[in-house]
Amino acid sequence: MAYPRDLIRNFCIIAHIDHGKSTLADRLMELTDTVAERDMEDQLLDSMDIERERGITIKATAVRMFYTHSDGKRYMFNLIDTPGHVDFTYEVSRALAACEGAVLVVDATQGIEAQTLANVYLAVDNGLEVMPVINKIDLPSADPDYVVNEIEDVIGIPAQDAPKISAKSGQNVEQVLSQIVELIPAPDGDPEAPLKALIFDCVYDNYKGALSFVRVMDGTVKAGDRIRSMGTGREFDVTEVGVFSPALTETPELTAGEVGYIAASIKSVAETKVGDTITLADYPADKPLPGYKQVQPMVFCGVYPADGAHYDDLRDALEKLQLNDASLSFEPETSAALGYGFRCGFLGLLHMEIIQERLEREFDLELVTTAPSVIYKVHMTDGSEKMIDNPSNLPPVTEIDYMEEPMVRANIMTPSQYVGTIMELCQEKRGIFKDMDYIEKTRVEMHYTLPLNEIIYDFFDQLKSRSRGYASFDYELCGYMKSNLVKLDFLLNGDMCDALSVIVHKDRAYPKGRAVAEKLKEVIPRQQFEVPIQAAVGGKIIARETVSAVRKDVLAKCYGGDITRKKKLLEKQKEGKKRMRQVGTVSVPSEAFMSVLRIN
Amino acid sequence: MAGAGIYIHIPFCVRKCLYCDFFSVAAAESAVADYTDALCLEIRRMSAILPQREYDTVFLGGGTPSILIPEQIRTVMRTLRTHFSVRENAEISMECNPGTVTEAKLYGYREAGINRLSVGLQSADDGLLKRIGRIHTAEMFYQTAASVKKCGFVNFSADIMYGLPGQTEEQYLQTVRAAAETGAKHISSYSLILEEGTPLFGMVRSGAVRLPDEEATADMEDSGTALLERLGFSRYEISNYAKEGFRCRHNLNYWKNGEYVGFGPGAHSAMRRDGWTRWNCPRDIPSYLSAIRAGGLPDYESERIGTEEEMFETVMTGLRLCEGIPFEEFRQRFGCRLPDVYRDAIAKLKETGWLDPDAYAGGRLALNAKGLDLQNRALSFFLPE
Repeated sequence: MAYPRDLIRNFCIIAHIDHGKSTLADRLMELTDTVAERDMEDQLLDSMDIERERGITIKATAVRMFYTHSDGKRYMFNLIDTPGHVDFTYEVSRALAACEGAVLVVDATQGIEAQTLANVYLAVDNGLEVMPVINKIDLPSADPDYVVNEIEDVIGIPAQDAPKISAKSGQNVEQVLSQIVELIPAPDGDPEAPLKALIFDCVYDNYKGALSFVRVMDGTVKAGDRIRSMGTGREFDVTEVGVFSPALTETPELTAGEVGYIAASIKSVAETKVGDTITLADYPADKPLPGYKQVQPMVFCGVYPADGAHYDDLRDALEKLQLNDASLSFEPETSAALGYGFRCGFLGLLHMEIIQERLEREFDLELVTTAPSVIYKVHMTDGSEKMIDNPSNLPPVTEIDYMEEPMVRANIMTPSQYVGTIMELCQEKRGIFKDMDYIEKTRVEMHYTLPLNEIIYDFFDQLKSRSRGYASFDYELCGYMKSNLVKLDFLLNGDMCDALSVIVHKDRAYPKGRAVAEKLKEVIPRQQFEVPIQAAVGGKIIARETVSAVRKDVLAKCYGGDITRKKKLLEKQKEGKKRMRQVGTVSVPSEAFMSVLRIN
Repeated sequence: MAGAGIYIHIPFCVRKCLYCDFFSVAAAESAVADYTDALCLEIRRMSAILPQREYDTVFLGGGTPSILIPEQIRTVMRTLRTHFSVRENAEISMECNPGTVTEAKLYGYREAGINRLSVGLQSADDGLLKRIGRIHTAEMFYQTAASVKKCGFVNFSADIMYGLPGQTEEQYLQTVRAAAETGAKHISSYSLILEEGTPLFGMVRSGAVRLPDEEATADMEDSGTALLERLGFSRYEISNYAKEGFRCRHNLNYWKNGEYVGFGPGAHSAMRRDGWTRWNCPRDIPSYLSAIRAGGLPDYESERIGTEEEMFETVMTGLRLCEGIPFEEFRQRFGCRLPDVYRDAIAKLKETGWLDPDAYAGGRLALNAKGLDLQNRALSFFLPE
């Protein structure tokens, strides 16, 4: 029997990093006996190691809880967790679209942070009821009254009755549960109407295949139904439906207003797209839910095994990751310097870092990655157009009429005292200032148009360091713009090293060329001959450094008959040689390719 | 078969030098006595196990062997001679550090049978000595050298170092001259190697001290070698220089990949026992003492070496010697010709220009000066793929 819809509450938690989202979620699960205390592992929702370490949520997750309110009724809560980073704005918006309300957690010692604001706006746009909660009131520097006023001023929602809690100690967390019942509306929807289920996440399960996490808006779905993904048009037979408690638990059906999962022997998460609408093949909805987008990778880089022998392992690992991450793309590529590897596409920089880290950590691979690149639009003299995401594939200058680069619309929120330094930063990054609003006396929202290739390196880190961590930003792609771009190459002892080539703005070529050449001089070990390092644009040398020839490579030390030690050292040296890449006559350690990425 | 060597490790120091990663601990008098007793028991018990050999050299190294009083050295030597067949004309060396010896002590060592001393000078600059944690001054070294000669030691070596923190080339050359002037017949000059885990490693990493760069260190080595040659010390190994007839026989045996047995924790041994075998005693004094007291032997870590690896070891150690490896010695040991076994590696040496062609023509595989400078790279040609 379907659960009475007026007793269901679907909500998410919006919070800035470290403001206590996961801790609050844990307390809610504890208070509703969703997990026995002995099974509690701190911060249950963030299950990937990397998420825990970075304090962010990468994949959304959902939990079903039951709460008995003071009115004596038993309510079903579906908590949908949201990823918390700019790369995943689309995923956040789909998770929000699955809810009727959002619990906004604000740290009583910090106040509202700019990133939270972006998500609150997203929630308001999706028609969600936003319910503020003031957390960390147990800390000595807490100022809950100030934060209450700030919420009312900045966001414009009433906050006088907001629960003032300590998620850590559990103080007043009960109030959050009862306010969820009182303030967040029950879901609408018609269980008899044609099925419309919104996919807000998907996960690969070794036994059940790709699972779609859905919010059923209308209709009912059960095992045996034939379903259709309205965006992709593909059809599947449902093998199982169920809910998260928090482990996957099979149920007879999912009906309008409910949150759960659908298993349909789907081979890969690439076939079940976040934002898509699932309907029944023989009783279809006339149109899908709004907001579906095909997610496109924006940032690309070459990923190579540090030891060429591990190419197959790398491919297997990428395939496994892709099972769970439809936004990761990859295809084989070769580099004269790095051998066989893959061109990988990512949603953004954090996504790229996460994938690299998972490859290294979970699959025990050592990687060499090339400089991240965006997709350039190259207009050829013959009138044709080429999309280039790898500098090595850029056609000869003589065949290029002009080039365009992708631009983003960036919203930067910052305390007003950092406006000057942030404007400087944006100018350095070739930003075009649009406008600026005071969202309150001391807080500013700035709008810029920026080239994507300027923000994929260190923009975020710079923004953070120049604003002492207070500024935050959010961006979306806003089309292409004509730009004076050049390909910057590096030559080692006269031979070009394709893995180091980058496409940069003409004005950037000289300083970048010099900085990279200096760095290479540090990281390329001395060879038996002198090695000139040159930076070149279109055949013209713009910077030069030299690594002088090695003079001594000998262990001038006595080991008192300990020959094993010296033997091991030589073997280690030889092993290290395997991790060297040959660029013409020059041996370059794998680490060298990585170190030039960390310039600026 | 050439005579084998005996090494005795004395893992005690007055104080540990900042750069040192050899095995040694601060000494207490009773600990030294207990240790000497244990050594003698280990020597006796091992003699029953090891195959019969004639021994041509004995070397007491450390640590600082001169922490032992002559009576203790005498006991160790007597035990050795009782249980092992040490040749009459054997070279019996001992390391000693200025600041730990007196004339009376040196005389006692002489009486105990020591006939070669290796004295740690390291640098003739007091500032540098202090910086690397040595307990003595240059003046104390000169006094020790004078006492050494007075007590009748003709054959003694001065051990020096280059590439020390803040060291200049002139300071190093001054050290070379000072070492030569003492009348030493042998000079070992090792470059400072920054070993992880030593206090100096931390000091360099934190920026508290600075080591000379690669270029400056290479300059020191080259000028040092040239000066030593001018002073009559001919280079016979990468880091060792000697007057005619005063090469260190004990170390030569290591470089020829010969047989040796070591006693004490941290000592290494190599011997043909049912195949080429290496073993070493773990660097742990308490468990060493308790094993010996329990009537047994320490828990040696031992390894059987296959023929291919034994060949590589022979090349690895032999190419440290300026005269290299005589084909004939190699053939007698392995029953095959060195140029046949390492045809590809030798071709590469010719290609790089690191081979000594005269030696090769004369039936020896040796590196020239450039090859000695880049010995690690030369050896990589000989390592199996």
